[in-house]
Amino acid sequence: MDAGKRIGNFVKDNLVLVTIMILVLVTAVLEPKFLTIANMGNLMNQFGPLSFVALGMTLAIIGGFIDLSVAGIVSLSAVFTLSMIDVLGQFGALLAGLLAGALLGLINAGVVVSCGALTQAKALFITYGLSAVFSASALLYTDGATQHMSHLENRTDLFQAIGSGRMGFVPVSFLLFVVIMALLHLFLIRTQTGREICLGGANITAAQLAGIPVKRRIALVFTLSGVLSAFGAIVLFSRITTASPLLGANYETNAILAVVVGGTSLSGGRGSVIRTMLGVMLVILLSNCLNLLGVSTYLQSVLKGAVLIIAIWIDRRRVK
Amino acid sequence: MSVVRKVVREIEKRKALTAILLMLFIMVFFDTRFYTAYNLLDMLNSAAILEMLAFGVTLVIICGGCDFSIGAMMSLSGIITIKLMDHMPLGFAICAAIACGALAGFVNGFFVVKQKTEPFIITLGMGMLLKGIAQQITDAHPVPAKNLTFMKIANGKVLFGIPNLIIIMVVMLLVFYYILRYTSFGRNCYAVGGDYNVATQSGIRAERIKWSAFVICGAMAAFCGVLLSSRLNTGSSIYGDSTALSVNCGCVVGGTSFAGGVGGVPQSFIGLLAIQLLENCMNMLGISAYVQQVCEGIIILLILWFDNYAQKRKEEAV
Repeated sequence: MDAGKRIGNFVKDNLVLVTIMILVLVTAVLEPKFLTIANMGNLMNQFGPLSFVALGMTLAIIGGFIDLSVAGIVSLSAVFTLSMIDVLGQFGALLAGLLAGALLGLINAGVVVSCGALTQAKALFITYGLSAVFSASALLYTDGATQHMSHLENRTDLFQAIGSGRMGFVPVSFLLFVVIMALLHLFLIRTQTGREICLGGANITAAQLAGIPVKRRIALVFTLSGVLSAFGAIVLFSRITTASPLLGANYETNAILAVVVGGTSLSGGRGSVIRTMLGVMLVILLSNCLNLLGVSTYLQSVLKGAVLIIAIWIDRRRVK
Repeated sequence: MSVVRKVVREIEKRKALTAILLMLFIMVFFDTRFYTAYNLLDMLNSAAILEMLAFGVTLVIICGGCDFSIGAMMSLSGIITIKLMDHMPLGFAICAAIACGALAGFVNGFFVVKQKTEPFIITLGMGMLLKGIAQQITDAHPVPAKNLTFMKIANGKVLFGIPNLIIIMVVMLLVFYYILRYTSFGRNCYAVGGDYNVATQSGIRAERIKWSAFVICGAMAAFCGVLLSSRLNTGSSIYGDSTALSVNCGCVVGGTSFAGGVGGVPQSFIGLLAIQLLENCMNMLGISAYVQQVCEGIIILLILWFDNYAQKRKEEAV
């Protein structure tokens, strides 16, 4: 095995890492401001909402599904949590928001399992339909109005800490992200339930024959995805201090983008939350880069679509 | 007993038609201006563009795919037409826009057929890309058209005072019905969607059939975009944000199953008509827009649920 082949294989296996390094190098050369502590803190700060949603999406995709309802869950749980602060106090509201996320995820799982849409393609449409219902419910709940945190009577310092607090130059939300990611990684790799989820995602028939309670595992996957989306929503509205019922729009495609770019296979069963972290990092770096270089938001959307298609394409070729 | 069972089975088969009849029946009791020629014709007129989108999508769904880039394609093609109209004759501008649609469909088809990726996710990404292009071209502002002939295409009434859009829709319905029912291409579509491997084994060029379906769907979406921007006399990047979902689901409502190989253009026509009628009825009854959205979402979900449940039962029976 000669060196050239080995390098080629390394690049093929760690495409994301290589791309990230190239991006960092290129941007650092073109824009000296990139490698400052301030910009690093800024980058970590951007890990916020999307990274949590992407973690939930990773679980769903490893479990063999794609959860498109996260857009609706983000919108609905954001407006719900914010409106609960005055009623339940801030800790109660945080808890209620996460519970709401879990409940919405459970509804997802209930609909998917009850009609037997156990393949990815079938469940896709159902979660998309549920997303429409959830988003419309968010509009209905607030009557279309945007809610502001500054209008609340109760204290909101907990949410402020989650959204924009910092320890040193490291944002609190980033620390939370790292902790949750580590826990999820251990859950998927070390516990029996985690391994069962992976098996169910890779081959659901085999999992059923092996005596795994597949339906309960699916419920767990969707519930976790719902909770994480709700947490992402909380981080998001705490940071921007307003909750609009349209908050979650496009979160599903961006989350899928991050997960797939990270290298978690869409066919299910294979992947890890660590890869998703790399994927999120790549997406953030890409938009940070493009912003520093002065590329318009619209062209960025074009590029994101192109990257999504290419990433799925590469994933497919690797499977073959 | 057997009569009841027969009726139930018929209703199960023709869910959308039953829903339409039910809604028409209910509206008799509400004394609104629902049963006027003006309202019914206007409803059909505004449904026409969605219906035509559905014809293209039906082709793709029958082949076992789905297309969620149609909404963005529709808005982009309208913008292209209006932008090009000042520099070349109207006909060329429209042809160019339709060619762009065919190209997008071609790319979709390449990834779905040649690379065997999940059509849903690829077309979703393509939609994101096309919307980005539309925003970049227009800077997210609406662009007005200055050509009167262009406006007349969708707003005029050439034949006996029937709006042009309805006539175009009926012609398209017949054309697509003919293609699916009487040409070998159409029959092969059903074979490819029913079982891809069997179709390949029996000598059908399955790849080419499925790919062409995507191209036709893209071109059709572009054509609808031209009509929409002609109707509104403006092109904008915000058109068609929720179109993809309602059109794809409308097809399923009518009985064209996502499993592929089942359904047809008339079914999709009725399915989308049911959704449009529902919207019209709720408007007539003065229900708020947000409640309407929730109702529509729940109804679409229910129908998807039944579609899946019936498939599951069928599989269990086998």
